[in-house]
Amino acid sequence: MGRQKLAVLAIGAVGLAGALTVAAFAAPERTRAGAAVRRPSDPAEIMARVPARDASELSARRALASAPDDVELAVGLAQAELRRARGSSDPRYLGRAQAILAPWWRLAAPPPDVLLLRATILQSLHDFRSSRADLDQLITLRPDDAQAHLTRAVVATVTGDYAAARASCAAVARLASAVIAATCVAPLDGLSGDADAAYRRLAQVLASTRAAPALRGWAETALAELAIQRGDAVGALAHLEAIVARDPDDAYARAALADVLIAGGRAAEASALLAGHEQIDSALVRRAIAEHATHGPDEARLIQAMRDRIAAAAERGDRIHLREEARFALEVEADPPRALRIARDNWAVQKELADARLFAAAAVAARDPGAAAALVAWARATGVHDAELDRWLGQLDGVR
Amino acid sequence: MKALAILGVALGVLAATALPAWAHKPSDAHVRLAVDGPTVTGELAVAIRDLDAALTLDGDGDGAITWRELDAAAPRIEAYAAGRLAFAADAQPCPLALDRAGVTELSDGAYWVLALSATCPHHPQALAITYRLLFDIDAQHRGLVHVEGQTLIVASGDPVVAAVGGTTSFGAFVVNGIWHIWQGLDHCLFLLCLILPAVFQRPGARWQAAESLRAVAREVFEIVTAFTLAHSITLVVSAIGLVSVPSRIIETAIALSVAAAALNNLVRAIDARWAVAFALGLLHGFGFSSVLIDLGLPSHELIGALLGFNLGVELGQAAIVIALLPVLYLIRRTLAYQALLWGGSGLAGLIAAFWSYQRWFA
Repeated sequence: MGRQKLAVLAIGAVGLAGALTVAAFAAPERTRAGAAVRRPSDPAEIMARVPARDASELSARRALASAPDDVELAVGLAQAELRRARGSSDPRYLGRAQAILAPWWRLAAPPPDVLLLRATILQSLHDFRSSRADLDQLITLRPDDAQAHLTRAVVATVTGDYAAARASCAAVARLASAVIAATCVAPLDGLSGDADAAYRRLAQVLASTRAAPALRGWAETALAELAIQRGDAVGALAHLEAIVARDPDDAYARAALADVLIAGGRAAEASALLAGHEQIDSALVRRAIAEHATHGPDEARLIQAMRDRIAAAAERGDRIHLREEARFALEVEADPPRALRIARDNWAVQKELADARLFAAAAVAARDPGAAAALVAWARATGVHDAELDRWLGQLDGVR
Repeated sequence: MKALAILGVALGVLAATALPAWAHKPSDAHVRLAVDGPTVTGELAVAIRDLDAALTLDGDGDGAITWRELDAAAPRIEAYAAGRLAFAADAQPCPLALDRAGVTELSDGAYWVLALSATCPHHPQALAITYRLLFDIDAQHRGLVHVEGQTLIVASGDPVVAAVGGTTSFGAFVVNGIWHIWQGLDHCLFLLCLILPAVFQRPGARWQAAESLRAVAREVFEIVTAFTLAHSITLVVSAIGLVSVPSRIIETAIALSVAAAALNNLVRAIDARWAVAFALGLLHGFGFSSVLIDLGLPSHELIGALLGFNLGVELGQAAIVIALLPVLYLIRRTLAYQALLWGGSGLAGLIAAFWSYQRWFA
């Protein structure tokens, strides 16, 4: 071995020693999961936030622990968890409500109060078929239960069973206030072809009564959706902005407002509207879409966060809401075939206008009109007219 | 469609003010395990929110769980977990020991982490895991058991069984090594830059095409051996945990090493390319080891895994060299070779420079 080779070998050895030293300082520990385990030094550091429990709920909990078969106690506590689920859009509380109802969860014929709660939880988990079965059973037991009819109308509408939905709305009209009845039937009127008349009727009823804030928000959301259907973005914006201003926790209206803004080329405003709400999937996916459209500063982070959420759901053998996943595939991942597959799976589960628009848009992007045959048949059978859907269906003819 | 609850429209106390960055998702807990002979080690991570639902950690009921409250509850948490987690090796129980480790942040909030170790009567073939935490609190809760590259989803208190020990054979590591070198474009480019000039040598004062295949083969053999030696050293020291360098640093350094090798072909600074191969090859070993760690390396298989993986890397390298060398030798006097040498090195340098930028800043 020559002198030159020895010298270079020596340099290599010195380099190795240097690299080892640097490395020893740079990375003192290696954790398996990638996330570091730490022990905070400040005893007052807040590690987690949980709902503050009032004394009555705590005592009800203790009572239920000693008498787990007490239906009345369980129903009260499960209702509290469902209110949390609705107020925070956090699915954890659905699982907690379900656990409280565990003694009755698998019964074929649980008590009526449990049936209603079970149907509501199943609906929130998008198990519409089981939810509907519970509601049908509940209505034979309690034909005058307005909430049962209303929830049944919603589930039937979502799954495309419009005859059953109309029957339930008729029952609601008999049992509840005019605003509730009008809001129940308005989307059905919109779907059967005359969104203009449906909008006018509901607006008239709402203007002539003083509704409680939550009820008003619900009715106005229905108005906004009819406005979107008519292609009236200005009207929809006015309704949705009013709802969100009154109830900042209304995740549904906030997401709908963001959609109107994005569709109107105002993605930056949509992004600002959703900032700080990314914990909710529906907000995260829309903010990712908005940042992607404008190449905003949070684009990369939000896209990664959305991918992580889809992966985390898959890891537990689950999926996020298919509507959200399909939109992400279509508008951010630019993967029309995948978006089309998910949108079609989603259509098999639920058939709202938003699902129809997404399905049609994915079929156009994937240049696969045949895949959307079921959608075209549905649109023809209902006679529905929707500004955006009609546009997509027109383009679908073009790519044929 | 949005639904309305007519009954109970008054929403009551809604103090579930989540920390803004945390995802809203159904509840999961993670059990990460490594099986090493009869010993099962690992950790259990449970969301602090979920532990609060089970054990009421928020003692003062103010909706905020402080580190003080959490740390004080550590013995209760340990007792809770100890009563609801069990392991068995082929139907014989493995006594479990838990120890508090701290907190970690996952996408939906902070988790309490317990270190766990269980001692089985023998090295299990089938490891049965009984996980019964939280199902009575949250019916949508899932326990996710991660062991040797598998994830088992536990949805009820029934035991799940993981086949362990047989999944990572010597052959599998060899195959992994081969694929790693073939798919690792950076390692391939590095090697390529080193052997490209081998058929064009400088025995005297000026450059000329090599006279014999033997001389070329010897030089290439030296280069490949030096590279192998170097990356083996760093692969071993980092795989056994002696040294660990953040992957951003390593990946960037590897990209820079490719750029350096390419540059050396253009400016001809160092003729002793075997030395370049050795010095820069040290970096590549760190890169290999991260792959090995990702495969989930059981320590009793460490030697076999290292040997297998390294052997695979060498085989993959040898295949590239054997395929390339005769072609280079045949075209060494042509213009095409000159184009390949200069153009190829230049292109490799540009690509590597781009990688360096990307890996450091992205």
